[in-house]
Amino acid sequence: MLKSVRTLVTASLLLAGTAASAAETVKLALIDPLTGPMAAAGQPAFEHLKLEAERINANGGLNGAKLEIVGLDNKVNPQESLVQLQKAINDGIQLVTQGNGSSVASALITSVEKHNRRNPGKEVLYLNYAAVDPAFTNERCSYWHFRFDANADMKMNALTNYIASNKDIHKVYLINQDYSFGHAVSKSAQEMLKQKRPDIEIVGNDFHPLAKVKDFTPYVSKIQASGADAVISGNWGQDITLLVKAAAEFGLKAPFYTYYGASSGVVTQLGDKGVDRIYQINEYYGDFEDPEMAKKQVEMYEKTGWDFYYLRLSTMLDMLKAAADKAGSTDPKDLAKALEGLSIETPTGEVTMRAEDHQIQLPMFISVMKDGMKYGAEGTDYNFHKIAEIARDDVTLPTTCRMRRPN
Amino acid sequence: MSDDMTATMIRSNQRFALRGLVPWLVFAAVLLILPFIFTDGFSFTLMNAIGINIVFALSYNMLLGQGGMLSFGHAVFFGLGSYAAMHAMIAIDDASYAGEGFWAHVPVVAMPLIGMIGGGLVALVLGWPFCRRAGTAFAMITLGLGEMIAAAGQMFPSVFGGEAGIYGNRMVGPQWFGLELAQAADVYWFIAFWTFAGVLAMWAFTRTPLGRMSNAVRDNADRLQFIGYQPRNIRFLVFIASGSFGGLAGGMAAVNYEIITPESLGLIPSGLALLMAAVGGLGVFYGPIVGAVLVTLMNSLLSDYSDASILYVGLIFLSIVMFAPRGLAGGLEHIRAAYREGSLARRLPGWFGGAVAVLLIALGLIIVIEMLFAGHGGGDTVNVFGIQFQAGGATGWLAGVAALVVGVLVMRATRKNREANA
Repeated sequence: MLKSVRTLVTASLLLAGTAASAAETVKLALIDPLTGPMAAAGQPAFEHLKLEAERINANGGLNGAKLEIVGLDNKVNPQESLVQLQKAINDGIQLVTQGNGSSVASALITSVEKHNRRNPGKEVLYLNYAAVDPAFTNERCSYWHFRFDANADMKMNALTNYIASNKDIHKVYLINQDYSFGHAVSKSAQEMLKQKRPDIEIVGNDFHPLAKVKDFTPYVSKIQASGADAVISGNWGQDITLLVKAAAEFGLKAPFYTYYGASSGVVTQLGDKGVDRIYQINEYYGDFEDPEMAKKQVEMYEKTGWDFYYLRLSTMLDMLKAAADKAGSTDPKDLAKALEGLSIETPTGEVTMRAEDHQIQLPMFISVMKDGMKYGAEGTDYNFHKIAEIARDDVTLPTTCRMRRPN
Repeated sequence: MSDDMTATMIRSNQRFALRGLVPWLVFAAVLLILPFIFTDGFSFTLMNAIGINIVFALSYNMLLGQGGMLSFGHAVFFGLGSYAAMHAMIAIDDASYAGEGFWAHVPVVAMPLIGMIGGGLVALVLGWPFCRRAGTAFAMITLGLGEMIAAAGQMFPSVFGGEAGIYGNRMVGPQWFGLELAQAADVYWFIAFWTFAGVLAMWAFTRTPLGRMSNAVRDNADRLQFIGYQPRNIRFLVFIASGSFGGLAGGMAAVNYEIITPESLGLIPSGLALLMAAVGGLGVFYGPIVGAVLVTLMNSLLSDYSDASILYVGLIFLSIVMFAPRGLAGGLEHIRAAYREGSLARRLPGWFGGAVAVLLIALGLIIVIEMLFAGHGGGDTVNVFGIQFQAGGATGWLAGVAALVVGVLVMRATRKNREANA
C-alpha cells in the first residue's frame, strides 16, 4: 500500500517536473528602491512590470517561457545594488532592470560588463528603463546594456525643438539641481538653444542644492525679476514639486518645462497650482487616447494604487518578447543579438533599439497639466494633456559609442 | 623551591597566554570553515560585506566605545580611504598596461593598506582642532565634517566622480597567492585575511598604553589631566588610529565593490557604523563584530520579506538603546559573568521568561506592522513566519494584539523572578 502510494507520488512529481520544464520560467529582476523614502519611484515600476508580465504570459510569454518579475530592493545605493545583483545572479536570474539613479546604473553597467567577461556562458543583460545619463550610450556604452528611455540629451533635443518653434518665447531661465545631472541639463539646454534659436536669451542659470531646499521663493523671485517667459528644469522629486508650488504662490506666470513634472506624487501635491504651469517632456501623456491604454490605467490604479506612468516598461517587455520570439531563445546572448536594431509598434508609433549604441529611438510628447481630465492621475481630476508630438527624427541624436561586441 | 615557583609561574603564564589565544584560533577557524558551509555566490557577497563592516564597526568603536567620542562623521575616513584605494587601483591598471612604473608592481591585495594610509592622513590633517573636547561639541563637529566632505564629493567630479562615483578593476597588477579575484569566492580570502588582520591589530591597540589611556580619557578626562596627560593628545592619537582602520575597511570595500560613490562619505554610512556598534555593544571588544554581522544581514535580507524592513531596523536600534544599552554582546557577557559566579542556574528561568516575553512582543509587533502595511496598499494576505492572515481581517489584528498582551503579561509575571535573583 505504502509502496504504491510512493510510486504514485514519484510518478506525479515526475510528471509535474516535465510539465514545468515545458513551461519554463524566465526571471527578470527589478533592482530599484522598494522600501524607504524613495520607494515611490520603484514601487510603481514594480507593479507595472508585474501587471504587464501577466499580459505577456497570456500572449505566449517569451518564446513560450513564462516571465516572472522579482523585486530586489537597492535603497538607491550603488553598493547595495551590487549585492542585490549578485543575489539575482545567484538565483540564476540573467535579466535585470533598473531605472532610478544614474549612479546605480553606472555601477550596474560596469559590474555586469565585468561579470560577463569573467563568467562566459552565464551572461547577464541589463535593461535600463530610466537612468538617463547620456554617457551610458556614448563614451561608456556597453553591449550588455540597453536603454528604453530617451537619454537626457534626447529629451533636451525634443524640448528645444518645441521651444524653438514657439515664437512667443524669448527669454529662458534655467534652474537645476546642483549635481552632474542638473549641470548636464543646463549645459545641453544652453548649447541647443543657441544653435536652434540664437535670438533666445538665457536670462538665468541657477543651481540649487539637491533635495535640500524647502522654500524656493528666493529663486522664484529671481526668475520673476529676470523677466523670463519660460523656465527649463530637470528637477525631480520634491525639488520640482516645491519649485512649482513656490512659483504658483508667488504668482509667476512663466511656464515650467520639465523632465519629471508628472512623476508620482507631483500631481497630488501641486493640485490646482500646477494647472497650465507645469509642462513635461516624456514618451507619453495623460490623455490615454488609446482605449487599450486607458483600460490599463483604470485597471492598474484600481489594483495597485499607482498610475500607468511607465509606458516604456510596457515597451521594454514587448521588445523583450519580440526579441525572444525572433531568436527562438531566452538566452541573454541571443536576446542581446535579437534586440539590436529591433523595431516594434507601440501605441505612440514605431520605436527602434538602435544597434550602434543600444539607445531606443522613439517619438516624444510635450504635455501640460490640466484639470477635469477624463483619466485623472493619482485619483485626482488632474493629468497631463498632450500639446505637441516631437517626431522620432527630431528626437534622435548621433552617438560617439564604439561598441565592444563579444567575439 | 624558588625554581619550582618560577616553573609554576611560567606554566600558568603559558596557560594564560594559551587561553588568550583560544578566541583567535576559533575566529580563524570560523573564517576558514565558512566558505565550505556557504558555497553559493550570494553568500560570498554577503560574507564579504560583513567582513568589511566588521572592520568598519570596530574602528568606529575605537572612538565611541573606547575613547568616549561620539562621532557622526566616521564614514569620511571609510570613504576617503576607499577613494585612495580606488585611485591606486586605477593607477595599477594604467601602469600594468604600460608594464612599468611603481604601480605596476603593487598588488591589488595590498589596497587596504593604501586605504589605511589615506584614512589615517585625513584624520591627521583634520583631527587636531576636533579633539579638544569630547561629548556634544565633538559630535556636532564631526556631523559638520561629514556633511562638508560629502558635499565636496559632489563638487570635485575629477576626484570623486560626481554622484556616479569612480570605479576600477581588481583583476589587474601582479597576482599574489594565486588569488585571481575574479569571483566573490576569491575575494572572500582577501576579505578574510584583512578582517582577521584588522581585528587582531585593533585588539592589540586596546592593550597598548595608548589604548588604556583612551579608556581613561573616556572615563575621566579631568583626572587624567591632573596626572600629567593631555587628553587632547590622546584623543587625537586615537582619532588617527580609528581613521586609519576606517580607511582599511574602505580599502577592502574598494576591492570588493570596485566602485565608490560620494554617498559613502555621508551621514547614512556614518549612522550605519553607530548602529552596528550600538546594536552589538559598545563596552565589549567583540560587540561591534556581532552588530556588524546582524545589521549587514538585516540590511540585505530583510527587505526580501517585508516592505517595512527599514522600520524594523529602526525598532531594533531603538529597543536596544532603551532596554539593553550594553548591546547584544553586553548581554552575552552578562550570561558569562553569571556562569562564572555560579548563579546561572538560579537566574536562567527569569531570563528565559524575559526572552519568551520579548519574542512574543516582537511577534505581536510584526503582525500589527505587517497588517498596517497591507492595509496601506500591499497584497491581500499577510504572511508572518508562514502563518497567513487576511489583510484587514479581524483575525490578524486579534492575533497581533493577543501576542502583544501575552508578551507584556509574561514580562510582568517573570519580572519578580529576575529582580529577586539579580
